[in-house]
Amino acid sequence: MDRNTPALFRSSRMRRTRTGIAVALAVSAATVLSGCSGGSFGATTAESDDAGLSIGFIVPATGPVSSIGLAMQAGFELGVEKVNAEGGVGGADIVFDAQDDGGDPASTTLIARRFAQDPAVDLLFGTVAGDAAAAVAPIADESEIPFATAVYGDPSVCSVNWWPFGASNRQLLQLQVANLIAQYGPRIAFVGSDYNFPHDVAVAATEIIAANGGELVAEEYSPLGTTDFSATISRLAGSEPDAVLSYVVGSDAVTFAQQGQQFGLLTDEMGLEGAALDADYYPAVADLVDGRQHVTRWADGLEDDDSAAFVAAYRAKTDTTGPVPETAAIAYYAIQFIAAAANSADATTREGLSAALADFSYDSPLGEGTHFESTGASNLFQADMFTYAIADGAYTEAAANGLVDDQGVSCR
Amino acid sequence: MSDFLLALLTQFGLYGLIALSLALVFGTSRFMNLAVGDFVVLGAYAAVALSALPFWLGLPLAMIILAPLFYVLDRGLLSRISDPMAGMLVTWGIGIVIRQVLEVVFTSTGRSVDAPLGGSVNLLGVEYPVYRIVIALIAIVLVGAVIAYVYGSRAGLRLRAVAENPSMAAFFGARPGRTRALAFTAGGVLVVAAGYLYSPVLGVSPAMGFSLLVPGFVAVLMTRAGSFIAPVIAVVFVVAAQVLLRQIVTDAVAETLFYVVVLTAVVIRANPHIRRFITWIATRPRSFAPRA
Repeated sequence: MDRNTPALFRSSRMRRTRTGIAVALAVSAATVLSGCSGGSFGATTAESDDAGLSIGFIVPATGPVSSIGLAMQAGFELGVEKVNAEGGVGGADIVFDAQDDGGDPASTTLIARRFAQDPAVDLLFGTVAGDAAAAVAPIADESEIPFATAVYGDPSVCSVNWWPFGASNRQLLQLQVANLIAQYGPRIAFVGSDYNFPHDVAVAATEIIAANGGELVAEEYSPLGTTDFSATISRLAGSEPDAVLSYVVGSDAVTFAQQGQQFGLLTDEMGLEGAALDADYYPAVADLVDGRQHVTRWADGLEDDDSAAFVAAYRAKTDTTGPVPETAAIAYYAIQFIAAAANSADATTREGLSAALADFSYDSPLGEGTHFESTGASNLFQADMFTYAIADGAYTEAAANGLVDDQGVSCR
Repeated sequence: MSDFLLALLTQFGLYGLIALSLALVFGTSRFMNLAVGDFVVLGAYAAVALSALPFWLGLPLAMIILAPLFYVLDRGLLSRISDPMAGMLVTWGIGIVIRQVLEVVFTSTGRSVDAPLGGSVNLLGVEYPVYRIVIALIAIVLVGAVIAYVYGSRAGLRLRAVAENPSMAAFFGARPGRTRALAFTAGGVLVVAAGYLYSPVLGVSPAMGFSLLVPGFVAVLMTRAGSFIAPVIAVVFVVAAQVLLRQIVTDAVAETLFYVVVLTAVVIRANPHIRRFITWIATRPRSFAPRA
């Protein structure tokens, strides 16, 4: 029997309508529930006693930022394995419960609240997108539980319980902008995705460009999911820049790079820095970024034995050969920092951990004496910044720049 | 002006195929295929997967490989549903499944596909990428060919009969279920072609489908169910509004204004007097009598 069946067969049709709705809901619900969010997987059960450290790990293992989420998880797990192999925290293994938030702040909130309400959980770790992290921060403040992140960018919400191990906006931009102006010229065009993080980056970039004697000649934003950048590219080209500072992120970064090349904006002669040069996007934009330099905190070509061992372990764990995402290494060293701080202060409670993180100093490939500084409303992680030369799939260390002395953080 | 026309041409190629695909399914089955954007993504990932082959050989191959999937989806799942809302929900679920499978197989990292044609050409005083012109023309030829087939062949007549009145069409020997399955398959194959052709100008990622849905969706919403030309014409105006706004204001502002324009158009279209007028225009009998 077909759709639009005559009224004569109405009862049969009604049955089929109900069946159809049931099928629809079953397909949709099963997919969402099984694949998207809130699932616990591949984790050690968080059942801690006072001696150990129990972590609620929130990861977008599915969804639009899952590639970064899974890289962060692999780095985090390697870090936990290393800490536990060296005696753990307080003589006990670190335990963690990994929950998939799908990159959806609503799911993130539910997961974070569940962790925060569990007295066994001592620390929250994870999230990738700024809006997901911003959803956790108030819960961390409310429950006074420390919350660590591994992605770069300023915290979007001010919180003294938020411990961001990634580089701040100004730590990234100081050298990125200075290098662009020195190598290509003073006229800088900024382009970013249209959400908080790129807007905050642009504010910092404007100050830093001016401080370096440059000029911001264009500032463009495109909504996430933009498929046609031709108008944006036309406006950027019309401003006759010497270099483009791009904080277009996600798959849009690839779209923008491709179209920028096709429309003749992103040539070898045009400077380019920003998120587009991150290792995450390398496989898709290799033609564009090979031969350029990128300033960031960590890349897999960092000349350090411990870092090289991590790269080998990461590649073995994930069965990959391409550039290793920075977020994986930041998560790897972050958990080691946290464990060392906890051991140093003999602290495994929420309050004790926060105090330990604030007062601790740690040597790692990210720098000697890496530590947190309080800016009053938030915490800033002080670690080295490096310049990497990109060629043939390798991010080779070109310069170690030390700490970047810039403490401006744009949280609200 | 030249920039506008060339951008309109390129974008119409993509969204024209999507609108026609939606119109084929909506016309024959009376539900919106919310998975259409994800079918485009399937085409784009076909280009990624078949990148070892010559680009132009991969296009028909992708269409042939994926066609049975669409036929099976309709016959095995959608044909069992009589309620349009349920049908729409199922296509939403199908879209989620496609996204999840692509994420598992290819990860969520953006991919790129090399364009088989490089360089640019000076058109209307503007340097424009050759590949964009070529794919727009191919897409327009595809749209034109399908419309010519629908309005100029016996199979097209059956399709239109099923779209207008499936019970009556069945009395006259048409097989509505089979016609719907073929329309769904044809719609799927069309957008696979769109995804494949446009993959070198888009960043290919599992989640890119949803943003591709809106212009075609709006075009179908503004036209009469069962019409296959009107959505294609409507999508020209929708895309023109989108392109024009992006040329006048920043992309972020243009996006907001675009939805305001679209919402206004849909509200005006929903007015019963205007709806009846459009139906009258579309269905009034034509007189072919010679002029006195």
